[in-house]
Amino acid sequence: MTNVAPANPLEMLAYNISMQIEDGQIVYVGTGLPMVGAMLAKKTHAPNITMVYESGGQDPLEGDMPWSVGCPFTFRKSPMSMEMAISFGQSAVGYVDIAFQGGAQIDMYGNVNTSVIGSYGEGLKAILPGSGGGNDIGSLTEKSVLVGLMTPDRFPEKVDFNTTPGYLDGGDSREKAGLLGGPIAVVTQVGVFDFEPTSKRMRIKGLNPGMNVEIAQACAGFELLVPDNVENIPTPSDEVLTILRTQVDPRRVFTKMPGM
Amino acid sequence: MGYKYITEEQINRLVDFEGARAYHLGKSRAKKDKRMSLSEAVGQYVQDGDIFAETGFAYVRAPIQAYFEIIRQKKTNLVGMGSPMSNESYLMYFDIVKAIHLSYIGVEMRGNDKNFARCIKSGKAEIASIWSHGAMALGFKAAQLGAPFVASKQLLGSDMLKQNPYVKVIDNPVGVKNDPVCLIPALFPDVCIIHVQRADRYGNAVIEGPAINDIALAAACRKVILTAEKIVPEMTIRDASDASIPFWYVDAVCEVPYGALPGCCPGHYYWAREWWEWLVRIGTPDVDCIEDFFRYWVFETKDQYDFIDRLGGIRFLDEARRQMEAAQATIDDSDISFDYQEVIPKRG
Repeated sequence: MTNVAPANPLEMLAYNISMQIEDGQIVYVGTGLPMVGAMLAKKTHAPNITMVYESGGQDPLEGDMPWSVGCPFTFRKSPMSMEMAISFGQSAVGYVDIAFQGGAQIDMYGNVNTSVIGSYGEGLKAILPGSGGGNDIGSLTEKSVLVGLMTPDRFPEKVDFNTTPGYLDGGDSREKAGLLGGPIAVVTQVGVFDFEPTSKRMRIKGLNPGMNVEIAQACAGFELLVPDNVENIPTPSDEVLTILRTQVDPRRVFTKMPGM
Repeated sequence: MGYKYITEEQINRLVDFEGARAYHLGKSRAKKDKRMSLSEAVGQYVQDGDIFAETGFAYVRAPIQAYFEIIRQKKTNLVGMGSPMSNESYLMYFDIVKAIHLSYIGVEMRGNDKNFARCIKSGKAEIASIWSHGAMALGFKAAQLGAPFVASKQLLGSDMLKQNPYVKVIDNPVGVKNDPVCLIPALFPDVCIIHVQRADRYGNAVIEGPAINDIALAAACRKVILTAEKIVPEMTIRDASDASIPFWYVDAVCEVPYGALPGCCPGHYYWAREWWEWLVRIGTPDVDCIEDFFRYWVFETKDQYDFIDRLGGIRFLDEARRQMEAAQATIDDSDISFDYQEVIPKRG
């Protein structure tokens, strides 16, 4: 037996985010769990990644967990910082490999809504902060990974408002729209999903410990594609969990379960 | 689209290349002492009906003490924009900003800004157009470059295009492929206030750390107010040759030490994180809360020094200075703690 407590769902999310990152990549990092995942990757299997931020920080020295994408830890001893338009431009021109993006809604083609629930005007239910840099990194970066807590409301068949296009209506519609790159994965508390190459519909790739296809389907507001072989994602090792808890998010700002 | 507050003239003025150029041509070239008090600068250069651009990054080197002065002076009918533009939220509450060109209003992970949603839902203010950070940044950059528009790959396929009368999609007529691109017009707000670490009395200004969109905005805006942590001799700036804003863009120079509080200022002070949590978790949930919140922080304070007293005075400032230096690794940071008591409202 081990003394290390098993991963909670947020820690599994952070771990699965980290596993999307390959060593040597340049990573566009946003706030919250993506930041935790990227820092975990750097301290475990991907020590040679370089992190860049929309507020302009580039390649900061390792330090405390940034409080915001504009936090001084995002430009801690950075060799330089870039203006915002230029920092995003790096994704378009091919200097960024992977980016992460969260949203209030993610649909079956990986479109993301961070703008409005319902619609602007008469049908307004809730106003969200807006795109921020989400549309930019999702439209421009070669690979993007979507991150969200999966419920049928949050994973509807079609987003109420398409803030950051994934594969639009599926098939080749993203390419036809003129967008670059595209989402390669969706990471949720249930597991990891990808997009079927022809239809671009969301497909189960791997499931977290204790999850199964029925649970995954119950968490989605649309029919998930199920491949012949669904991977069983192993629980992170004690070593990885210890690094996550003691070095990456020691104050448990992002990985403590609410109410616990 | 039908609008309630923003006028057709205000809509058009934002992209009026010739109008902005004529305005810039008409500005005084005199290299004169432009120092004045913050209240004079805001009184003179922020005018009712202006298109007002936020600078910095919401709570990073943003001229927040100047925004509080705008509240005290009860400006009105402004059109707010910026990327990001989180401070527009409370300006909408006070009927200062009546329409916004929206990119992002929020405080990231600290919680939802319910005031922003309430202002739009209740019709207190309206959304005139919707943008991504990068698309708006490109509009400011185009203005700085003197380019009437730039073509982008962001915004394509997005529903923001349906809520943005400025941006047009065309097939790239000059590319190898005739693939779709978005034309983003050069954007010319009327006025911005930029908080800088150093400026001389003429307006030559140095930004340390990320400039965000401020260099572009300084060139684009018709009027530019600087708030500076320090006013330095011109020769200090000439020696280092590190200015990014030239004096001829600048209308007013205000010495406002701690002018970015409650946000942070690179090289000077870390932010008052609790303040932002108070704002979104206690200050915005309902209308009474926001009244109390701004009475305490703005109407009962006359300047940044009163504000600092309420944050904890010299103990707060000294900790904020150490934390910024530790975050930037300019001091031995091994004993500097970033622990703090997160603001969690009691329920019920």
